[in-house]
Amino acid sequence: MIQKKICMLGAFAVGKTSLVKRYVESIYSDKYHTTVGVKIDKKAVTVGAQELNLLLWDIQGEDGVQKLRPSYLRGAAGYILVVDGTRRETLDTAYAIQQSAQQTVGLVPFVVVINKTDLVEQWALDDFAINELTASGWTVYRTSAKTGQHVEEAFLTLAEKIMEV
Amino acid sequence: MIDPQSPDVLDEAAPQKNNGPGNHDGLDELRRLLVGPEQQEIVRLQERLEERQELSPTDVGRVLPEAVRLRSRQDKKVTEALLPTVEEAIGISVRKNPQTLVDALFPVIGPAIRKAIAEALTGMVQTMNQSLEHSLSVQGLKWRLEAWRTGKSFGEVVLLHTLLYRVEQVFLIHRETGLLLQHVVAGASSIQDADMVSGMLTAIQDFVHDSFSSQQSDTLETLQVGGLTVWIEQGPQAILAGVIRGNAPQELRTIFHETLERIHLEFAAELETFEGDASVFDPTREYLEACLQFQYDESRQTGAEKKRITPARVIAALLLGAILIWGFFCLRDRWRWGNYLSRLKSEPGIIVTEAERHWWSPHSIAGLRDPLAADPQTLLTEANLNPDKIESHWEPYHSLTPQFVVTRANALLSPPPTVTFRVERNMLFAVGSAPHRWIVETRRLARVIPGVEQLNETELVDTNFSELAAIKDRVEKRVILFVLDTTGLAPGQDAELETLGAELRELYRLAPAAGRSVRVEVVGHTDKTGTEETNLQLSRERAEQVRSLLAAKLGEASTQINAVGVGSRESLREEQTEEDKSFNRSVTVRITLSDAL
Repeated sequence: MIQKKICMLGAFAVGKTSLVKRYVESIYSDKYHTTVGVKIDKKAVTVGAQELNLLLWDIQGEDGVQKLRPSYLRGAAGYILVVDGTRRETLDTAYAIQQSAQQTVGLVPFVVVINKTDLVEQWALDDFAINELTASGWTVYRTSAKTGQHVEEAFLTLAEKIMEV
Repeated sequence: MIDPQSPDVLDEAAPQKNNGPGNHDGLDELRRLLVGPEQQEIVRLQERLEERQELSPTDVGRVLPEAVRLRSRQDKKVTEALLPTVEEAIGISVRKNPQTLVDALFPVIGPAIRKAIAEALTGMVQTMNQSLEHSLSVQGLKWRLEAWRTGKSFGEVVLLHTLLYRVEQVFLIHRETGLLLQHVVAGASSIQDADMVSGMLTAIQDFVHDSFSSQQSDTLETLQVGGLTVWIEQGPQAILAGVIRGNAPQELRTIFHETLERIHLEFAAELETFEGDASVFDPTREYLEACLQFQYDESRQTGAEKKRITPARVIAALLLGAILIWGFFCLRDRWRWGNYLSRLKSEPGIIVTEAERHWWSPHSIAGLRDPLAADPQTLLTEANLNPDKIESHWEPYHSLTPQFVVTRANALLSPPPTVTFRVERNMLFAVGSAPHRWIVETRRLARVIPGVEQLNETELVDTNFSELAAIKDRVEKRVILFVLDTTGLAPGQDAELETLGAELRELYRLAPAAGRSVRVEVVGHTDKTGTEETNLQLSRERAEQVRSLLAAKLGEASTQINAVGVGSRESLREEQTEEDKSFNRSVTVRITLSDAL
């Protein structure tokens, strides 16, 4: 059994914890919880014939005040960058986080997840911005922790990418 | 690089190749012409090489670091070779100029010393806390008792109890990723998901380190959760975390530390290249299991049954028994004391004014007591109380309770058995019969008896007086008959007169004892025949006749006898017949008993 550390990164309240909860426990709650520090979960997946244990480090969201702690990132095999589709600025935060993550852990695989697709009316990201991401070679998923849309795929894709390395 | 053999090969290969017969000189010439300059160059190089067997410092300098690194990977020869030199170099350096080394070590020594002192202080504070706790708590007392019982020192006993521990889980964690490398569990300890715990432990470490620590070397070493302690040993590549229940000795930390060092040594490469596959660390299981140490208090384990009758328990049981018995005696004493008090209160002639019951000193009781009342000391004994444990103080007083008044009257007046006393509303009733003298005495004394204001004699008979009265009655019934119209006694009246005389004599004799004086009046009578004047005269004479006769009989006492004649005025009978008439011709006697002066 191989274990891999995966970090959930992103701005405040983009849905990192909800995604993990949806992915690991298949539940969703509207209630908002601020993660302080880090919360760790585990999910077993199978990539090809290889069984894999993903240790999901749900790290507290980043904003101007609370910078990403590199120590939490250390040793991560990959990470998921979470963007809130209803808040444009979270995309910018994601760019910044990606930069600092790369400085800390190097070129490890990551997946960008644009969350909250269920909130159609409040959607704030145009396709252009998303295409731009794809164009720069990033893997992008539009997810909803509420409905579970594309959540499994996003994590599985990251797992596969990690195993390819 | 440089092959010293090549010129020789070149030099010798040529003649061999061209070793044709008779052509030697020509060939040599040709060779000289063709490769002469090169040949000379080769010879020059050869000479140079032979001159300088050793490598040039430049060359060595170029390859040395790489060479050292390569060799160090192979074995420890380089280190061994350098060790004496390095040691000596350090020695010389210190002798020459200690400051250099001091400067170099300064950043290391400071934190090291601080850490050592801090640890020592923590240990000391912990010890102090423990000893304080142990000396003041119930458990501490229990342990002191145990120390006293077993003859061990208190410290030993405390150690015995406090050093009980069990390492329940040991985690080996990859430091960089926080991933679990190996995990062992002792027995049936409850297990959380070890992978997550491992991650969380790492995260907590990072959090604590990032949040509170400025020094790179400072790390979280202990987590304390209730009865559980997590000891964390940090290595460069891996972390060893032990979950301990109870208080583990400091030596255990050393064991953890050594285990981690050993794993680092043996699995250096695996740790370095760890990519998430923890199976390569399976062999570390054995080392980690060695960390699953425990220490039980054997006496507590095996002696659980025996302990039921340990001396401590026996003492405790005895104590409990003693307390129960003491309690029983206390209650009994209390009950008896209560009984005694109520008895005293109901007892006439005793008034309790103060009664105190003490636990430690004798009880005290004070009050008033009539000397005639029951003795409180006797009552004490009757109440089963120990008189020595009770301080009594009784003030004498006179109780006006009728019972006591009667008792006092009896004591003071010593009545004859025929007399009893009764007290009603401060009045002393004497009931029965008593001699006159006693009655007189009693009248005088009764007033001085406390509680008696008056003597009531209505129910008391004066025996002397009643005797007198009886004789008086008899005397006054006597009739001395006379012959018609004479002062001569009728026949047979002498005997009657004799009896009368005897009775009067008796009367005189008894009168003084009854406090009376006796006056005797002889009354003469006639029948109604004849004139009143004659009758009166006759009656006087008859009375005088009897008086003189009695006087003769009685002697001196007779002076007190009067003789009066009443004629027929006070006839004894209605004169219906002759017999009645003759009865009226008589003399009677009247007695007056008056109080003697």
